[in-house]
Amino acid sequence: MHAGAAGATVRNARILSGLVLLAFVACHLTNLILGLKSLATMEAARPWLMGPWRTGPGITLLAGAAIVHLLLGLYAIASRRSLTLSKTDVVQLALGLLTPPLLLNHAVVMHTAGEVTPGFDATFGQMLAVYWSFTPRYAFQQILVVMVVWMHACVGLYSWLVLKPVWRRIGGLVLPLLFAIPILALLGFAEAGKEVLGKLAGDPEWNAHIRENLTKVVRVTSQLDAFQARILLTYGALLALAVAILAWRVLSSRNSHVTVAYDGNLSASGRRGLSILELSLLNDVPHAHVCSGRGRCGTCRVRIDAGAAQLSPIEGQERQTLERVGAHTGERLACQARVLGATVSVTRLLPAFADASAARAPQEWTAEAPAPVAEGTP
Amino acid sequence: MAGWWVGALAGAKARLEALGADLAQSPAESLQILETTRSSLMTGTGVRGFTYFMILLFVGIAVEWLYWTYAYSPLRAAQSAPVGSPFEALRAGVRRAVLQGAGLLLFTAAVIGVSAAFTWPAGMHPLVIQAALFLLALRASWIAVSVVLAPGRPQRQLVPADPARTRSLAWTAMAALALVALGHFIPAILQGATGALHAGSVTRFASFTLATLILFVAAFAYFGRRGRMVAPASGAARAPIFPRSFVLAVLVVAVYIAWLMSPSASVLAAVVAVVIALEVGLRDIVYFYWRDDGTGALPAIALSLARFVVALAGIGAAALALDTPIATFAESVSPWARIGLRLLGVAVLALLAHGVWIAVRSVVDQRLAAIGPIDPHEPPDASSRLLTLLPLLRLCAAVLLLALLVLSSLWALGIEITPLLAGAGVLGIALGFGAQALVRDVIAGIFYLADDAFRVGEYIEGGGNTKGTVERITLRSVALRHHNGPLHFVPYGALGSVRNTSRDWVIDKFNLPLPIDIESEKIRKMIKKIGEEMKSESAIGQHILEPLKGKLYQINPGVKVFRCKFRCPPGKQFDIRAAALKRIEAALKEMGVRFADGVSTVVLKG
Repeated sequence: MHAGAAGATVRNARILSGLVLLAFVACHLTNLILGLKSLATMEAARPWLMGPWRTGPGITLLAGAAIVHLLLGLYAIASRRSLTLSKTDVVQLALGLLTPPLLLNHAVVMHTAGEVTPGFDATFGQMLAVYWSFTPRYAFQQILVVMVVWMHACVGLYSWLVLKPVWRRIGGLVLPLLFAIPILALLGFAEAGKEVLGKLAGDPEWNAHIRENLTKVVRVTSQLDAFQARILLTYGALLALAVAILAWRVLSSRNSHVTVAYDGNLSASGRRGLSILELSLLNDVPHAHVCSGRGRCGTCRVRIDAGAAQLSPIEGQERQTLERVGAHTGERLACQARVLGATVSVTRLLPAFADASAARAPQEWTAEAPAPVAEGTP
Repeated sequence: MAGWWVGALAGAKARLEALGADLAQSPAESLQILETTRSSLMTGTGVRGFTYFMILLFVGIAVEWLYWTYAYSPLRAAQSAPVGSPFEALRAGVRRAVLQGAGLLLFTAAVIGVSAAFTWPAGMHPLVIQAALFLLALRASWIAVSVVLAPGRPQRQLVPADPARTRSLAWTAMAALALVALGHFIPAILQGATGALHAGSVTRFASFTLATLILFVAAFAYFGRRGRMVAPASGAARAPIFPRSFVLAVLVVAVYIAWLMSPSASVLAAVVAVVIALEVGLRDIVYFYWRDDGTGALPAIALSLARFVVALAGIGAAALALDTPIATFAESVSPWARIGLRLLGVAVLALLAHGVWIAVRSVVDQRLAAIGPIDPHEPPDASSRLLTLLPLLRLCAAVLLLALLVLSSLWALGIEITPLLAGAGVLGIALGFGAQALVRDVIAGIFYLADDAFRVGEYIEGGGNTKGTVERITLRSVALRHHNGPLHFVPYGALGSVRNTSRDWVIDKFNLPLPIDIESEKIRKMIKKIGEEMKSESAIGQHILEPLKGKLYQINPGVKVFRCKFRCPPGKQFDIRAAALKRIEAALKEMGVRFADGVSTVVLKG
């Protein structure tokens, strides 16, 4: 039961760290896109696109963001109160959990190998030669990881940006870009791969250089593997802990029942401590929730007709969102208001099919709401 | 015939033996496949193919994502709008299926379309398309299952099923469909990728066998021993006729055996099985939509229509499965094919006739049920004639339909029916002349009925010299009891204009001759007073609609004639008149006025 301010910090930290990681992946993929032209172009652009991330501050920022994002993800699992998830949340969670094991190998080789084996230069040519010729197994892993990481990033970025008014202006640009980058990057990967294969066959000197370079890494493979195993073990333990906490939270409160009565003679029941939205979703009550219960969109808001005192008090994020959407007193966000008493009666204020436009322009969706007074007008 | 069976069984045996050989060889081959797959995938070529495949996935997801940014809100609306009636559920379900299906089609079209842009490693392009089609089959199955069964949302179910079991039913159906899709696509992919015939064949055998087992068990688990899944809520429950679980299980096994014997026949067998299963369950499904009130004519008509559509769709699917265009089939010289096609035509005619018959019958039955049984202790009214007429109408419709059906079936079979029609025409004319009067009577009777000209117990006067109380109404005539006793049987054709004296009210008038020297105004007031007295008396007053009044009507030599009148229900005027005269006589006696005597003054001109 974190305080509102802490909740907002967590959310901001998640978005910021995610954006940092997205920026890195976008740089990396953009560099791959240049493979459509030639391997040399890729290498030429590497200092500009990848270089900054290999400097001290760059590494710190990147590693920090990765650790923060990962831990926040696990924290999000642990702090769930129920297993009700929207479809996008399921996708997002699965993709996010898959990322570390899939990506670890690449990250460790690229970063650590350079440090433990002096003289190893992890150029694009080197790595592409490994992927396309020496151990194609890693190529499959990498291609898969592009899909996993990028879809995770897409879903995250989209569900954050689509709620903002600015989406109307940039949406038409961002969405195509979000898909153009990985498609072009994979095309670049394929083209550069062809080039590397040709070069391996036609340039014995380069071939020998690559092979020699590779032996340096092979020598430290056992070391790298042990390091990876430790990280994976830690990750597994943390994940198990998060799941255990979730299981405990779900099971410990399973005997206490509360009910919520809705407009239209609907009702829902479930465990004490769940939010109204979670109770709706558990009981198949149609209820809008564009941001999947993060308290950002305001589409789940309800008017409390009875039992307002039996709900958890309004906290920072909820107050902020309620103010933004121009809610009246007696209205709450169903995703934030947890039911602590026995019965609550509410009226859903938005139709269940409300979409992100209801978050961007709330006044267009509530018929009886008074026209919002624009700031600065007399 | 026997030869055919021997051939079919020999083929089945050969197939089973081949399958056994496949089973024996598959373990070694599977290892080999793994090795081949590894060695062929773990090369630059394999990486290229996989990269292109991922690009295709990205393209597909991008297109579908774009689609859902527009279509998600309508989908949510279709999923969450309150559903009041089964038809609203149907509408919402169709909307949902269309929206989701459009997204799926876009995804598949994008993947397959863009796949043409790449130069694939040898032999990989067909595999990618197979994989895309496999995904299409899986997702389409899920859309169909989730829309039709609506697991967890009993209001949105499109077929009758126990709401508590729709979730498990959906998963079972999905598992069977996925296994069938697996058995269809994976062997093709395996064979294309590695040339592994045996392993593909074993995969197909295993998945089809598993699907059959699942469906077999599901038939008993979900349809049970009773004839139906859920008893309808209204009184439309019918006694179980035949255990459906058994029918379904037999169908499943039959399709499986057909597949074992010859794969090409199995599609046809599957189509036939689905048609039979649907026809068996169609009554429940159609009445599910009228579960609140299944008594009207509409569900019966809808059921008939649905049977018709299912049969037609089955014929179409069978034609597709056999890859036989109907047109070439019709032109084929084989007499069997022609006879088959003509029998098909007869079947279509029979279905049409059945539909019309259901419509007529249900309208008539509904009307009869509305009238209800006649109470023998009550005097019969207008509906009694309807009770006579409606079954006759139904019978006429049945005979007519049957005659039409027989004639058109003969025509469809290619038998010349012109002589038959001519013969029937001559006979019809002869009968028509003879039965002219009878027909006129019956038809005139229908119109008397429609006009509600008379009912049993009413006193009527016909156009001729017939009058009396209606005692009996039959198809051809009405029996009138004359007030003197004789009973007239009047055919409707001879009844003519009817004067019904028993309707609503009558006005009764009588004259009162008084001496010429009395004061008219005094008499008028006296009569009026008597009228008001009578009206206020409960015994007689309740029958008086307008009280008695009288006024000077005529002055004859020596006599003043007063005309009195009152209004009352038919048949009461005689009693009321007698009572009125009695009172008037008493009142006149009290006033000392005598009635005008019969003395007439004769003035002689001298």
